Amino acid sequence: MAGTLTPTARHEPAADSRTPGRTALYAAGVLARRLLLLAGLLAAVFAAVELLPGDAADATSERGESAADLAQRRQLLGLDRPVAERFWDWMTGLPTGDLGTSARGEQVADLLARPFPNTLLLGGLALLLTLVASIALGCWAAARPGGPLDRAVSASATGILALPEFVVAVALVLVFALWTGWLPAVTLTDSDGSPASWRMLVLPVLALAVPQIGWNTRIVRAALADEARAPHIDTAVLDGLPRHRILVHHLLPGALPTIAAGVATSTGMLLGGAVVVETIFNYPGVGSVLAGAVTDRDSPVIAGVVAVTGAVITAVLLLADLVRTWASGGRT
Amino acid sequence: MGRARLRVAVRVLPALLLTALALAGPWLAPHAIDAPVAAPYAEPGGGAPLGGDQLGRDVLSRLLAGGRELVVTSLLVAVLVTALAAVLGAVSALRPAVGRIVERTCDMLMLLPAVLGILLVTLSWPDGGRLAVVTASVVLGVPYAVRLVAGAAAPVAASGYVEAASVGGERLWYLVAREVLPNLRATLLALFGLRFVAAVYLVATAGFLQVGPQPPAADWALMIRENSGGILLNPWAVLAPSVAVGLLAMSVNLAAAALVPATGRKAVPTL
Repeated sequence: MAGTLTPTARHEPAADSRTPGRTALYAAGVLARRLLLLAGLLAAVFAAVELLPGDAADATSERGESAADLAQRRQLLGLDRPVAERFWDWMTGLPTGDLGTSARGEQVADLLARPFPNTLLLGGLALLLTLVASIALGCWAAARPGGPLDRAVSASATGILALPEFVVAVALVLVFALWTGWLPAVTLTDSDGSPASWRMLVLPVLALAVPQIGWNTRIVRAALADEARAPHIDTAVLDGLPRHRILVHHLLPGALPTIAAGVATSTGMLLGGAVVVETIFNYPGVGSVLAGAVTDRDSPVIAGVVAVTGAVITAVLLLADLVRTWASGGRT
Repeated sequence: MGRARLRVAVRVLPALLLTALALAGPWLAPHAIDAPVAAPYAEPGGGAPLGGDQLGRDVLSRLLAGGRELVVTSLLVAVLVTALAAVLGAVSALRPAVGRIVERTCDMLMLLPAVLGILLVTLSWPDGGRLAVVTASVVLGVPYAVRLVAGAAAPVAASGYVEAASVGGERLWYLVAREVLPNLRATLLALFGLRFVAAVYLVATAGFLQVGPQPPAADWALMIRENSGGILLNPWAVLAPSVAVGLLAMSVNLAAAALVPATGRKAVPTL
């Protein structure tokens, strides 16, 4: 889970960049750093798959298979080549979209080509809902600081942020699919492999977003509380500006970088939770591919999914960095 | 002071009670967890107050038995993560070079969703079983925890008495164990609570994805997965373990939030 409000302070000095040249330089530095981190993670993932006992050939072996068959498949999968060579192949293949070969000999990139856009749609909608709902709830609570509403919102946000997605999903299915029958409990697919109707997206998106809304509402609320201590807010209050105007025009812009960082860290939780939620709702995404990989003990597929997911999270974190640069650059 | 302590106690109590119930549950179960006592997905009644599961086993007995492993595994993860993070965090506050490495590693691991990380480890290590789940949860949890400890340890490490002890030639382990960590008791207690919440989430999700406990073990998350096919016939077989996981997660989280020291950004939990 994310706990990442600390980096804010670290980025503050660099944000003092009023000239476009320095801003561009700073953005390039951030980009380079993020890409380096991603490369490091991918190296760690490859090492983990490599160093832990058991390999893809073992995992897919069937009972009664001879040692010769096993050796042959190992050769077929390229597992008999030196580690350094395979590592180099895997890492250099990644930027070209080659994610390696699954234990069954298929291209991991081909396995993910159809389901991944579906997962991105699910995660993207959940992220959007999280953003809108947590800002609305956070502002609603912040408008009456310390009041019963504020405390109720904060307490329920704390309560739901720790719930595993599958618990939320079970509750949603019981209420909205089985008892009231308003929404479908399973996802049917069109011939092109995408969900057949938007109604089938509602419950998965909700199940994914609910814990993240709890998490981000607290971040929004805390960021607004921090921002409310700034002197220019006192001035605005003394000037007699209406409460909602202060909230929207004076508090929110200052709190935006923190909110962006918080929502960005939710991306990882959303993509991780999607695996669980897709299993429950039979949604045609990466989760179903992973569920198959769990049965087959197919770690190359997991490594490929981690690579793609890491790239998506890197992109979202970069976006949050840019929001921070833009928001603080505009004020100084 | 007295009233504040009472309020913390009131918020910690439900978590303690639930944990104790989950630990004692297996002794309270009226039936064996692996013997059928009713028809598959039988509705509540007779000897089975919550009905039967997909093999006709008593849902209540399995519910009572199914929490212990989840709680014990999560406690183990929380203890290991807190201990490792305490040492690493204190060292990185005292030695900035170590601190930079720790911070980069944390940034890197943030790009790996915890659920995917646990799948990666458990699948690459098929014989690892519970050890694999614990290892993955610890590796994935330590980075966030180290950040929290290092942040809290930085002012302590910069304080006069630690510097004096450092200049006086005390070794690193002495500074960590005797000077820095004793001053972080409140932070570490809160950290333990938060890591327990995160561990419950991860261990339960691993159980749900069937990379943790294997059938026929009674496990709340596994029960939800196994019985979801019969949710219309006997909803209790799915609902009861869901409520159990949900209550455990919520009560532990509220307890952890109550333990967070009042100074600093209390409104933001550092899971």
